[in-house]
Amino acid sequence: MSALAAPPAGATAPKPSPSRRRPGSGIRRGEGAAGWLFTLPVILILAVFLLVPVLMALWVSFSDWNGRGSPLSSGVHFVGLQNYAATTTGGGLAERNFGLALRNNAWYVVFVVPLQTALSLFLAVLVSRQVLRGRGFFRTAYYFPSVTSSVAITVLWLFLFSASGVVNAIIAWFGGNGPNWFSDPRGLWAVVAGWFGMTTPPAWLTQGDFLGVSPWEWIQGPSIAMSAFILMAVFTTSGTFMLVFMAAIQNIDPALAEAGMIDGANGWQRFWRITLPQLRPALFTVLTLGLIGCWQVFDAIYTGTQGDPGKTTLTPAYLSYQASFNDNQWGIGAAIAFILFVIIIVFTLFQRWVLRDRPVSQRRIRAYQPKAARQNGATR
Amino acid sequence: MTDQLSSGAGDDVRELALAAMSKTPPAPPQLLHTPVRRRSPWRAITGRTLLYVLLIALAAVYIYPFLIQISTSFKTEPEAALNPLSLIPQTWSVAAYEKLFQRSDFPLWFANSTFVTLCVTVGRVFFVSLAGYALARLHFRGRAFVFALIVAVMAVPTVVLLIPKFLVINQLGMYNSYTGMILPLLADAGSVFIMKNFFESVPVSVEEQARVDGAGSFRIFWSVVLPMARPALITIIILSFQGSWNELAHFIISASDPALTTLTKGVASLARGAGLGSGTQYPLKLAAAIIMTIPVAIVFFVFQRRIMNSSAGAVKE
Amino acid sequence: MTRHTARVATGAGAIAVVAALALTGCGSGFSSDNSSKGASDLTSSNKPLTVMIGSSGDAETKAVTDAVDAWSKKSGVKASVIAATDLQQQLSQGFAAGSPPDLFYQSSDQLAAFAGNGSLKAYGDDLKNKSDFYPSLVKTFTYDGKFYCAPKDFSTLQLVINTDLWQKAGLTDDDVPSTWDQLAADAKKLTSGKTKGLVFNGEYARLGVFMAQAGGRLVSEDGKTAEANSDANVTALNYVKQHLNDGTFAFAKDVGAGWGGEALGKQLGAMTIEGNWITGAMSADYPDVKYKVVQLPAGPSARGTLQFTNCWGMAADSPNQKAALDLVEYLTTSDQQLAFSKAFGPMPSVESAASTWKSDNAALVPFLTGVAYAQSVPTNAGASDVVNDFNSQLATLKTSDPKTILDSVQKNLEAVVK
Repeated sequence: MSALAAPPAGATAPKPSPSRRRPGSGIRRGEGAAGWLFTLPVILILAVFLLVPVLMALWVSFSDWNGRGSPLSSGVHFVGLQNYAATTTGGGLAERNFGLALRNNAWYVVFVVPLQTALSLFLAVLVSRQVLRGRGFFRTAYYFPSVTSSVAITVLWLFLFSASGVVNAIIAWFGGNGPNWFSDPRGLWAVVAGWFGMTTPPAWLTQGDFLGVSPWEWIQGPSIAMSAFILMAVFTTSGTFMLVFMAAIQNIDPALAEAGMIDGANGWQRFWRITLPQLRPALFTVLTLGLIGCWQVFDAIYTGTQGDPGKTTLTPAYLSYQASFNDNQWGIGAAIAFILFVIIIVFTLFQRWVLRDRPVSQRRIRAYQPKAARQNGATR
Repeated sequence: MTDQLSSGAGDDVRELALAAMSKTPPAPPQLLHTPVRRRSPWRAITGRTLLYVLLIALAAVYIYPFLIQISTSFKTEPEAALNPLSLIPQTWSVAAYEKLFQRSDFPLWFANSTFVTLCVTVGRVFFVSLAGYALARLHFRGRAFVFALIVAVMAVPTVVLLIPKFLVINQLGMYNSYTGMILPLLADAGSVFIMKNFFESVPVSVEEQARVDGAGSFRIFWSVVLPMARPALITIIILSFQGSWNELAHFIISASDPALTTLTKGVASLARGAGLGSGTQYPLKLAAAIIMTIPVAIVFFVFQRRIMNSSAGAVKE
Repeated sequence: MTRHTARVATGAGAIAVVAALALTGCGSGFSSDNSSKGASDLTSSNKPLTVMIGSSGDAETKAVTDAVDAWSKKSGVKASVIAATDLQQQLSQGFAAGSPPDLFYQSSDQLAAFAGNGSLKAYGDDLKNKSDFYPSLVKTFTYDGKFYCAPKDFSTLQLVINTDLWQKAGLTDDDVPSTWDQLAADAKKLTSGKTKGLVFNGEYARLGVFMAQAGGRLVSEDGKTAEANSDANVTALNYVKQHLNDGTFAFAKDVGAGWGGEALGKQLGAMTIEGNWITGAMSADYPDVKYKVVQLPAGPSARGTLQFTNCWGMAADSPNQKAALDLVEYLTTSDQQLAFSKAFGPMPSVESAASTWKSDNAALVPFLTGVAYAQSVPTNAGASDVVNDFNSQLATLKTSDPKTILDSVQKNLEAVVK
């Protein structure tokens, strides 16, 4: 993440100053104290409001605190993994709610991350073209939704996607019949299956369950309501990531493109073979931030549907809030938050691993070696 | 969108994004000889037209919702339901704005948001630039530890903090007070990172000069280095303003007193509150959303030109 | 682990431990155990009171605010009324933070949860007019042998008909439905264009009337057995499903209304199933719509409906419980309850007001008649979560199998009633 914020060219690395050897004297006396004093406010606030809460949440997730009094008081007992067990294997509502929330958010991630990455890359490439007039206008237009708060955009979206709203009016104009977006709990793939005549799921898909949710419910895809949220997410974040890609595109050495042109590559080939690999760090950033952000959807759900219809817009972040602040089950809420934390870390690490710089494969190396070497059977 | 980029890491991206907006793309490569394939001027023109058509169509998709929002806020409720698509209301009506300003707590929400955002912006900019400078330029024991703490904190997703921040704020007796709403927002790991990176790019010689002249650390920071940091400061100001104005989750958990409601919480309650007896009231809700967006939009439009230039040389190298 | 990393970890740990210890010490200073106070041990101070209500609309908010202001003048204690946007969440957060409102609407299905964790003060036995409340309501608000709070009113659900549309469809008083078939026939006649015959919220709190009419209930009357997947309930849900699919019934959300009253007011539905509170909402928001209230029909079993009641909950953490008690006694007097009823409809919880109410509110008498055959909602701790889940499954009633839905509700309820 920080790799991209490099100092501008021309700054020289500071020479080690004499104070390194004697911090307590000379013209740099008091620097140690000043250093601590300067950073103290930030340290205090981060420690008290970020570090300690994490530890406190950890404690609450392992305890039976019921919402009254301090969680650190003597009446609160350690119950081990009880809350985690109730959430993941309990067999009751807690497990099913968590399973549904995971399913909803997983489909959200599956749709939003590729869509927003592709769209923002597409916009960035378009807007970065050499011969563009009004570049500033287009940049502003695409970035503006990112500036607004999720509450404002959700209110707008609730209006646009209401049963007799703008989107359905546009669909009607094309002769279709739009669904009642935010009240429709049918899964996307279930609707598609319905077009092909499969209106009830086959029996073998409704047996058994993982986290209290049957396989049919798992593969149904995001509900129509969730799809509206997916569109909203792509609408609001494509602008920010477009700018990230634009910065990266502008940093690409033009000589590479020139070399490609000389070699006779057309635009499409230039994009795939030259531009895109150069964008790997930016792509990495966008994917990481997209993953981290998508797993934390809260504001839009809180403002818009609160998990309805039919718990298809329930997300783990909102479930954690709801379990604690509405249902008074603070231990379960904290447990969900930590499981979510682990999920985010796992996804981020997995994505890092997938996009790592791998050594070029032998097959590819051979393609670039001169013919003679290959014919001599240099098959190593 | 604050949901996705509310963790400290998001600030880095936004900074980069803002920086990108001021740059122009490099000049096209000069070809040394004619390319192997000749591209006819006809194809070039179609290509360019296609490009513009695409861009304009996409821009329309991005702008149209906001135009509809503005026009609907001036419609009457029945017309909003009947004619959702029209951009010009048949009968202009300011009933929504009237109700918003006279018969609801909207002005109070606006005042609260303004107060909190100003305090957070001023405070955060100050603390974060102090810390960034110390981490970049001052040598003190434990500097690495502090830096590691900040990096670690950036990795924690905000959702994990929802419940426990509430507990901590409550334990400290700050619940239902402006302190509880403002104080936790005064430090932001990502912003510290941005300032630190910027200060590292400032030539050391400037500070050395000042030290030789006998200035203390704070004096150097305040009078010498900070004025040079204007571009970075502007970035942080924009990010802080945007972040605190659009913040929702923190205000939910830090206060429940209606007198302390901010715009985000208030407008969210308008959107949620449609239960028994309040109807859908779209013009009202959209009007609220518009007014809520205006300050952030102004800050955005005013400052988007004056971002991150390369540091003006204060020293002749 | 390198030395550097070790130092970092130690430093972080040290800060965390110190901060945690500090927090344990400087808490907001309330004890975690308040239940040792006896019932007559009420706190007293001169702090102003906050009253939080879950309002059904502007009419209710105004009525309560006026009443509280009148009491304030009389008693000299300042009090303010807050209309909550999400009563449940704001109460929960208030209790957890130790700063809840002094008085608030307490629903019968949440009593167990809040009484169970000590958030409520059991002041019922201190009420001067304790003997005037209906015994069944007192029983609803008794938990663990203690009478916790004064019932503030109660309502039932009945059928509300748009009289203009009724006449336009050629229906007369004889067509007022007394059986399920008649209801379906009437709804069919009333469905035309955008208007559906019968529109109501898609939740247990409305569909439950059909379950009652078929002879089923979620939890047995003594609260000890779960009966969700009885044949009667399956019959009821199948009836609703059938008519949702043939277009004569509809859920409010599916026609674009927030609740049944809005559907009735905007003519998206010709009939709705709602409770007493509809009067206040209709006169405030849709004064031009003429309606009448009739009894819901009988199902395969008999007539049936649901009954709802709230009480005035008092926070155990309230610093001024004596004044709060005084306010409650004022708000539950016969005269005050009749005034509330005039504003937004519910029936008084005191028996002494019954005959006056009947003569003052002739149009609402069906609601009172319904009390004879009304069921209450389950009050077991944890039942409301199950009902929430039931509601979310009802969203797909058109295409799901009622037996499957009720089986899952049964399973969840069994975990709760034991």
